[in-house]
Amino acid sequence: MSGGQQSYQLSEYLEKLPGTTFRKLYQQPSTAFAIFRRMLPPLAKVFVQALLYMPSPLLLSELDVWVRAEGKMQRDRALSILRSLHIIQITPPGKDKPQEMQLTTNFKNSLRLALEGGGSHNSFGVPSTLPVAPRIDIAHLDGYARKKWEDILHYVVNSVPAQNDGGGGVSGGGPKTSVKELLLIGRLVERRHDTQAGVGITQAGFTFLLQEANAQVWTLLLLWLEAADRAKGEAKGAANTDSIDMLSFLFMLASLELGRAYNTGALTETRRNMLPHLVDFGLIFIPREDTRQYFPTRLATTLTSSASSLRSVSSGFNAATANNPGDASSLGTTPETSAASKGSVIIETNYRLYAYTSSPLQIAVLGLFTQLNMRFAGMATGRLTRDSIRRAIGFGITADQIISYLASHAHDQMVRAAAATGRPVLPPTVVDQIRLWQLENERMRTSAGFLFKDFDSLEEYVSLSSYADEVGVLVWRSDKKRMFYASKIEQLRDYLKSRKKAE
Amino acid sequence: MPPKRKAAPGQGNATKAGRASAMSTPGPATPRSLDSSMMSDGDDDFDEDVTEAQREREALLSREADDFVNKFTFKGKRLQGQDDEPAGGGRRADAATRLFKKRDFSYLPLKPDHQNRPLWIDPDSCTVVLERFNPLAEQATDFLITIAEPKSRPTFLHEYALTPHSLYAAVSVGLRPRDIINTLERFLKTSLPDVVRRKIEDHTKSFGKVKLVLKHNKYFVESVDAEVLQTLLKDQVIGSLRVHGSGDITTSYAPTMGGLVIPGTQNAAGVHQANLRQAEKKPGEGGDASNEADLFTALNEEDDDDDKEAVHAFEISDADVETVQKRCLDIGFPILEEYDFRNDDVNPNLEIDLRPNTQIRPYQEKSLSKMFGNGRAKSGIIVLPCGAGKTLVGITAACTIKKGVIVLCTSSMSVVQWRQEFLKWSNINPDDVAIFTAESKQKFSGSTGIIVTTYSMVTNSRERSHDSKKMMDFLRGREWGLMLLDEVHVVPAEMFRRVISSIKSHSKLGLTATLLREDDKISHLNFLIGPKLYEANWMELSQQGHIAKVQCAEVWCPMPTEFYDEYLRANARMRRTLYAMNPRKFQACQYLINYHEARGDKIIVFSDELYSLKQYALKLKKVFIYGGTSQNERMQVLENFQHNPEVNTLFLSKIGDTSLDLPEATCLIQISSHFGSRRQEAQRLGRILRAKRRNDEGFNAFFYSLVSKDTQEMYYSSKRQAFLVDQGYAFKVITQLANIEKTPDLAFATPLESRELLQRTLVDNERGGEDDVETDDLFGKPGRGAGGRGGGRKAGNGVRRTAGMLSELAGGQDMAYIEQNKAANKALKGKGKKGAGGDGQSKFFKGLQREKEKSRARG
Repeated sequence: MSGGQQSYQLSEYLEKLPGTTFRKLYQQPSTAFAIFRRMLPPLAKVFVQALLYMPSPLLLSELDVWVRAEGKMQRDRALSILRSLHIIQITPPGKDKPQEMQLTTNFKNSLRLALEGGGSHNSFGVPSTLPVAPRIDIAHLDGYARKKWEDILHYVVNSVPAQNDGGGGVSGGGPKTSVKELLLIGRLVERRHDTQAGVGITQAGFTFLLQEANAQVWTLLLLWLEAADRAKGEAKGAANTDSIDMLSFLFMLASLELGRAYNTGALTETRRNMLPHLVDFGLIFIPREDTRQYFPTRLATTLTSSASSLRSVSSGFNAATANNPGDASSLGTTPETSAASKGSVIIETNYRLYAYTSSPLQIAVLGLFTQLNMRFAGMATGRLTRDSIRRAIGFGITADQIISYLASHAHDQMVRAAAATGRPVLPPTVVDQIRLWQLENERMRTSAGFLFKDFDSLEEYVSLSSYADEVGVLVWRSDKKRMFYASKIEQLRDYLKSRKKAE
Repeated sequence: MPPKRKAAPGQGNATKAGRASAMSTPGPATPRSLDSSMMSDGDDDFDEDVTEAQREREALLSREADDFVNKFTFKGKRLQGQDDEPAGGGRRADAATRLFKKRDFSYLPLKPDHQNRPLWIDPDSCTVVLERFNPLAEQATDFLITIAEPKSRPTFLHEYALTPHSLYAAVSVGLRPRDIINTLERFLKTSLPDVVRRKIEDHTKSFGKVKLVLKHNKYFVESVDAEVLQTLLKDQVIGSLRVHGSGDITTSYAPTMGGLVIPGTQNAAGVHQANLRQAEKKPGEGGDASNEADLFTALNEEDDDDDKEAVHAFEISDADVETVQKRCLDIGFPILEEYDFRNDDVNPNLEIDLRPNTQIRPYQEKSLSKMFGNGRAKSGIIVLPCGAGKTLVGITAACTIKKGVIVLCTSSMSVVQWRQEFLKWSNINPDDVAIFTAESKQKFSGSTGIIVTTYSMVTNSRERSHDSKKMMDFLRGREWGLMLLDEVHVVPAEMFRRVISSIKSHSKLGLTATLLREDDKISHLNFLIGPKLYEANWMELSQQGHIAKVQCAEVWCPMPTEFYDEYLRANARMRRTLYAMNPRKFQACQYLINYHEARGDKIIVFSDELYSLKQYALKLKKVFIYGGTSQNERMQVLENFQHNPEVNTLFLSKIGDTSLDLPEATCLIQISSHFGSRRQEAQRLGRILRAKRRNDEGFNAFFYSLVSKDTQEMYYSSKRQAFLVDQGYAFKVITQLANIEKTPDLAFATPLESRELLQRTLVDNERGGEDDVETDDLFGKPGRGAGGRGGGRKAGNGVRRTAGMLSELAGGQDMAYIEQNKAANKALKGKGKKGAGGDGQSKFFKGLQREKEKSRARG
């Protein structure tokens, strides 16, 4: 379940970390627990569970008894993941002794603590004992998180209205400057002058939008961690323990309880410094009147859960806030919400596109590659045109991304009709055409090289260009303009020198 | 002049004409002014060339029709409508709003049970979006096709547009504004915006209130609303024109279809009548909106009161019809014309009925029920895809009216076909179906009958033979019950005016597959003939097996560099030749022909470019027909194509676009075409829709359009496909034909051959630079037929015989072809002119004939 793209990014990040970092990370039971929950494929979980209370190392060969022959590949994969995350140790192969495996000490201890409870690590947060303002309930937190995160996504799709725009005032001014910079650094957006917000989406940004909400959060958090690493690295010139603390704080957040207040006072300084950023991301909420409390939002508490693996841009949120009717209506969510999570886009053979959605975000995403036409409550219409697709391609979005977006958001009716007739879900002609539109722009081939021009004499031009031809570096020549273009310069330079000398 | 001539005499002056055009508008009205003007010219003068004055007047008329059309578009009303919308503050705006500019209608609140309702409406442009997968979609479709123009009908969501014309059509088939509004309200997910409601009311309140009925050969102005009639009578102009002594306002009961049964329908009167009533009085009021299940039943329910609605009428004299019509329009009650043929005792009845075993299809029945909605015949246009049985619809209409019928078609070939169809489907006495063409000028034996002729025979105004003249007098001297206008889309408005002015009929039925013109003149037809009564859904018919399923593909053929070089330098004329002569296209064509012949398909290849048509056909050794092919040769070629297993591929110029009935053809390749003409594309597709084998398991017809990559052709091609694509057809783009290089004897395979082709093409066409592209309609040039080819003939009708040699074949119907002919002659001088002329048979055709004889001998 959790094996999708989203955890891949996180695991990629983790795998780059050195073993010592892991040892430190695993000192926190919450981290060990979170990694166990989120990062491991089912088979690996089984191994860990079996090894957890095993008093002595297990012979690697015994594992063969647990796993059927045909599952060998999965076993190897599980083992390699476990090793790369420094959860197990396997003794090196030797003649005298058979290979053994066991859990790393820190991981074992922490996971046992997490499961058994007890200890004074406070790794699962320290609940605040202060009174909680009555307005802060789960609905409030969801609305808050949703708005924060949609602001970020809107900024990415470049649809943040100017302050005086959007009379309803649903969106404020978009995310904080620090978040904007983070998105720029992460190349999810790039500065452009031809768009309203001054930035435009990039290919990476579009990939980002296509991810489910949970993966998006991780992408952003990892960007942030890396940026923090870099900043600190530059400042101190050394790797630091802070990023480990930051990471384990994130894992800790994931284990907190939604709707409950936690004590900021119990946090380390590093972690307290993280709070404003997390507020910007919408992961936690700190009431203005009492900064001694913080509330994790759904974004934070689902960080390590795999339940959201089917969610995407808007539907993730719709699902996350589905139990929150008050907020939903204020954001214009209609009963189509449930349909939206199933898929909402119909694309016809005549390139007309109909989206059963009222989410401004999804409409804005569609607007990236569609020429939108009309909008009704719960429905937007548009059509794919050569121009609209080319514009999207101009942003760096690929035809395949568009197609996969359409496919993954295909309306139920399309899926059903396709299943009934045994045809692909998307009309093949439309798919082909989108690709062809992309190919149209990819007909220029470039080759690096050098242009020779402004020769003193015709003779010089002729001799040098024919020499270039002889040695096979000539790409193009124009006798009329006395110009030629060569792919390499070294031999020509030598030739010129020898010519000069000869003169 | 026959005594019951319905038009007013005299007064064919310009001012009159001006008024008339305004009047000849939204009605199935015959523009009477034209009648009168023609008469003032005198019957004998008919054959004279179009006078300068007439031309001017025609221009004026068409301009005024334009004005009138403009008057009836919604655009002008748009601002006014917006004033009434909630101000900006009232609307909800969010981050996505700006993406839609002004077209964010999400402020319209959804009804609580919106999921059970299939429609959205855009209050600005009156576009209606229909969910096809909604349980109520069928009913909603039936309703929408009556009140709106279909715009896009693919698989899941359809779009319709409410236009003044469509609303007018709705009113004319008996819907009342109130019914339209109520039904819309029921089907809409949101409540009906006030703007739309007002638009509907605005555009329908005046339509159809007043009817002009020819009853017992007296004209009556009729209305269900006594007050309206009083208003008219109080009007100075109209009031004074009323015929007194016939009693004041007569009151009778509205026609209720009585026992009228459209022949050929499945059931006897009872059921059928219900069907017709459905069309007649669709949405009854009452009925609980929330009760979805009963919704449509409620619509169909008829109030007993409605059934016996009283109508009030007063008589006017024949002479004043025009004045009254005009006046009515001026005071805002456009007159609707209907033909109460059952009560017409003056025109003799025609003995005609469908053969007992003939059964018309449900959509044909539906379209006819629109025409005969209240027991009278309304004029209008029925749009059915090619091959869906337009002819039978026409014949059934004729069988319903049972009066004299005149059929106008586009070519002498289809004249013959129409006659055959009449004999095939109906029990009419063969003597009663007469043909009037250049070759044959028959009259029917009895007092009334059917005449089949062509548009150009009727409108040709040049010198004509004595026979023709006599025939025309015969046609003009009668009153026809029904005028059937085949392929109505190809005929320019001016020609219609002339047709309609010279032949008087009580009702007109236009038939076409593609009510499209690139010049947008199509709306004129709404005024000249009548509203569109019905438009069938291509995809639906194909799913039901009435027309063939078609796989459409666009094959991209890259241009070899040297061709592209020339292309970039060439003028527009040469460009067209070059992209048609692209050797890669040639190869693709060859490949596809080989492939489909091997599959057992019969293939038609279309080319607008005559030069490439001949080049292709000669190189590939296939038969071809173009404008210059003689009638006999055509027949011979067509017969071979249909029956000779050796002749599987036929090359056709644009003369084959319409009305050519070749049910054998299952594959169509298009190598050059008329710019971005959507109509031509649809018409050509129509050639394979009636494929005989269409109901075979898994049968597919194939439609290929070959386009040269990176040329204007690509752009035109996407334009051309727009109509079909909106009908739900999908064009697959093929960039690479698999194993094309393995085709045996692949033409122009080497660069050398390809260069030779280029040189030859350039030389051959150099001096033929004049634009020889045939005009889009067969009638592009009224009065055509100059150039020493006797008058009164239409395309390919008895044209001189030509041989298959290239040197002789470059001609066409126009002078321009002759020019090109010369050029081709010069270019090919070296090759000599042997084999041409003589018996008019090329070697190739001789060969064919030999083969045929052989096969006959064998058989």
